[in-house]
Amino acid sequence: MSYMQANQNRPMSHGNYQSGPDLPIGSAKEQTLMWQQNSYLGDSGIHSGSATQVPSLTGKEDEEMDLFDMDQGYTQGFTADQVDEMNNQLNQTRSQRVRAAMFPETLDEGIEIPSTQFDPGHQTAVQRLAEPSQMLKHAVVNLINYQDDADLATRAIPELIKLLNDEDQVVVSQAAMMVHQLSKKEASRHAIMNSPQMVAALVRAISNSNDLETTKGAVGTLHKLSHHRQGLLAIFKSGGIPALVKLLSSPVESVLFYAITTLHNLLLHQDGSKMAVRLAGGLQKMVALLQRNNVKFLAIVTDCLQILAYGNQESKLIILASQGPIELVRIMRSYDYEKLLWTTSRVLKVLSVCSSNKPAIVEAGGMQALAMHLGNPSQRLVQNCLWTLRNLSDAATKVDGLEGLLQSLVQVLQSQDVNVVTCAAGILSNLTCNNQRNKVTVCQVGGVDALVRTIVQAGDREEITEPAVCALRHLTSRHVESEMAQNAVRLNYGIQVIVKLLNPPSRWPLVKAVIGLIRNLALCSANHAPLREHGAIHHLVQLLMRAFQDTQRQRASVASGGSQQAGTYADGVRMEEIVEGTVGALHILARESHNRSIIRTQMVIPIFVQLLFNDIENIQRVAAGVLCELAADKEGAEMIEQEGATAPLTELLHSRNEGVATYAAAVLFRMSEDKPQDYKKRLSMELTNSLFREENVWNADLGMAPDLQDILSPDQPYDNLYAQGPPSVHSSHGGRPYQQQGYDQIPIDMQGLEIGSHGGGNGSTFSAIEAMELNAEPDLNFEHIDPLPTPPQDNNQVAAWYDTDL
Amino acid sequence: MAKMAFQHQAGTAMECLSIPITLHKDVDGENLICGFKIGGGIDQDCRKSPQGYTDNGIYVTEVHDSSPASRSGLRVHDKILQCNGYDFTMVTHKKAVSYVQKHTVLNLLVARKGVTST
Repeated sequence: MSYMQANQNRPMSHGNYQSGPDLPIGSAKEQTLMWQQNSYLGDSGIHSGSATQVPSLTGKEDEEMDLFDMDQGYTQGFTADQVDEMNNQLNQTRSQRVRAAMFPETLDEGIEIPSTQFDPGHQTAVQRLAEPSQMLKHAVVNLINYQDDADLATRAIPELIKLLNDEDQVVVSQAAMMVHQLSKKEASRHAIMNSPQMVAALVRAISNSNDLETTKGAVGTLHKLSHHRQGLLAIFKSGGIPALVKLLSSPVESVLFYAITTLHNLLLHQDGSKMAVRLAGGLQKMVALLQRNNVKFLAIVTDCLQILAYGNQESKLIILASQGPIELVRIMRSYDYEKLLWTTSRVLKVLSVCSSNKPAIVEAGGMQALAMHLGNPSQRLVQNCLWTLRNLSDAATKVDGLEGLLQSLVQVLQSQDVNVVTCAAGILSNLTCNNQRNKVTVCQVGGVDALVRTIVQAGDREEITEPAVCALRHLTSRHVESEMAQNAVRLNYGIQVIVKLLNPPSRWPLVKAVIGLIRNLALCSANHAPLREHGAIHHLVQLLMRAFQDTQRQRASVASGGSQQAGTYADGVRMEEIVEGTVGALHILARESHNRSIIRTQMVIPIFVQLLFNDIENIQRVAAGVLCELAADKEGAEMIEQEGATAPLTELLHSRNEGVATYAAAVLFRMSEDKPQDYKKRLSMELTNSLFREENVWNADLGMAPDLQDILSPDQPYDNLYAQGPPSVHSSHGGRPYQQQGYDQIPIDMQGLEIGSHGGGNGSTFSAIEAMELNAEPDLNFEHIDPLPTPPQDNNQVAAWYDTDL
Repeated sequence: MAKMAFQHQAGTAMECLSIPITLHKDVDGENLICGFKIGGGIDQDCRKSPQGYTDNGIYVTEVHDSSPASRSGLRVHDKILQCNGYDFTMVTHKKAVSYVQKHTVLNLLVARKGVTST
């Protein structure tokens, strides 16, 4: 074969290379061209049969013929002679018929072979055999060709390796193109990837060559190899990744395409690739590529970024430093190719759990850009946008221009998909926290109605009810439409369902949110009767008693030498919070006289009085507050006095907290109503002394006006950000100090969700690969991974500062 | 432009004068010794650096006496812009360390306060 010739020619041409320009170059070209020819000659000659078609009949024709048969029947009669003649003819043409079925290409044109089948709509037995026999024939042909290709490639490879390493760029270029041709056939492709030297030569060609054709051929070959596990391993082992990353700066579209898809395949399926791409500076180059405008190309780039950044804080910071968030947000705004939007939203999702990237994405307009796609028919896109929005939403409470987003979220609440509803409710909860403008917007687009419906439909699915209740809690206080919202909850038959959520199986975080909501609902006098009728007072008192007992037990155990614990937690909720919440809600409910008479019968006044001794100021305030309301009735005032409240209340007149002092004074004043004149005078002196500073606030009729109420109890405790994530994550926020003003800014690391969401049926094929690579990474033996001072790898924060001795 | 060398925002274009430095490491058995310390990187908070660096570049924080680094002319507080062709204005600390450790000869480009810029 010509292979031998080439082998003999080569040393000669190489030796002559310097001496004359004509012959050696010509022969080198000839050599490679010869190889090219060879690949096409590697056909066994049976190929001609490969293009033949099997005659086939469609079912439709069959049916028509059946109908025809039913009309005609087999009524045609034949004489014995006719039958004999026909049989004779058929016997003569038997071999022809068989050949027509199996080797139709061997027939002469225009020959008509009589059929053995009466009914032309049905196939004969031989015809029916034709299809499988043709398939068998093709398989044999392929097998022969495959063997040829494999043999050829195996013999050609050592020679091609030499040519790839040639000093002459033209030779290298021709060889690279040749290898590329070979790699297009399966058999020779396997031969190439089985040769580590060949793959190494290709990588070298990429790294060293400035010739476009060489680069194209070599990277094209690597691209072909990257569809096989074995090929991926060969590329990885030959140091192909740094070479491929270098090509990401190529100005040539096809080279870029080959390089990025090959890297993508490596990242997806080859252990250790992620680390290698990061070390080669791939992230920076990929972020730079985001400025291109081919959507399919961008989809691959973004998917690579997602794989690299997922679970790797360092990568996220590099993407940030390369201005990645701005580009990603721009893509979300500018394109409508679903796959690209989906992959981009996945990168943003991964970045959105990083506390450094989060503000950058929000600042780049990420919230608005993601909001644009909430109406997209693609479920996976909507879901990823929602996850990202939820991750971002606690950093976006001060952002303006979210009207569109809020409206979309309210619409999305009607979705049948539990995940979608959960996210939408969570985002609404965060965005309505302490943001008046957003509160008003949500109310105006019917958010209250939608949230109540969501709660009703969610039943005991707390992942939905908790954020939805939190959102309602935010919407029912401290903005101009809050009263409308308080009424809307009632008008949508929400009160019954909401009160019911105080019962098991609700967990503490939900219960806490519901308590806050009931307190806000009670600000509207029209809600007092329905709240009472559905047993809100009774439930609140039960919760108060239970929580109070828990805190007392805790106190006792600490006093008896137990460990100094911060408090009693249940699912991340301190019982002190429940005490404060229930007493606060009862305080507002007690503005109404029917409610007061019920509270008086619940044996709860002794607890209120004891709470005056509590060392948490907020609890003192709500306790004094509820006593203040209860003291409005003579019976109430007497009961309070009987519990020995006078001493602690007098003490509290000197509280640093104006609210506490004011309420205490009010209770004492009301209790003194039927006292002798000189007692009143003494009390009045004391009150005047301690409360002189707020004479103006001090309302003569003592009916705490709503405004004063607002000054006394800022909604902070009820207006905290909805804690994101599944309830199990809640425990991680448990440790926040109780008395800090800011319940509202809870930094939430969604890493847990990020991982969960991957497995969680978003149709991703990457989850398995992720797991695989995560396991593999610690074992990586990279030459430059030396013992380093341990930088805080997975820390979400920027590390402080340290240096390394070299 | 020039003064931006020390208040550089990682990832943005920068133009500044630089000093080329070639450092031949000492070989001590298996170990290669450079004789200097580096600090900084995009994963660190420069505001917490005791030296008061003003950006997230890689800085030379110490040069040991009579070491390859001191012989090469490297000085404390030099900002390394490049190392063997690798950009050092936007790297994590760990990666900078890995690049420095990679080769026996380091071809560095550095910016020096008061020399390449004020």
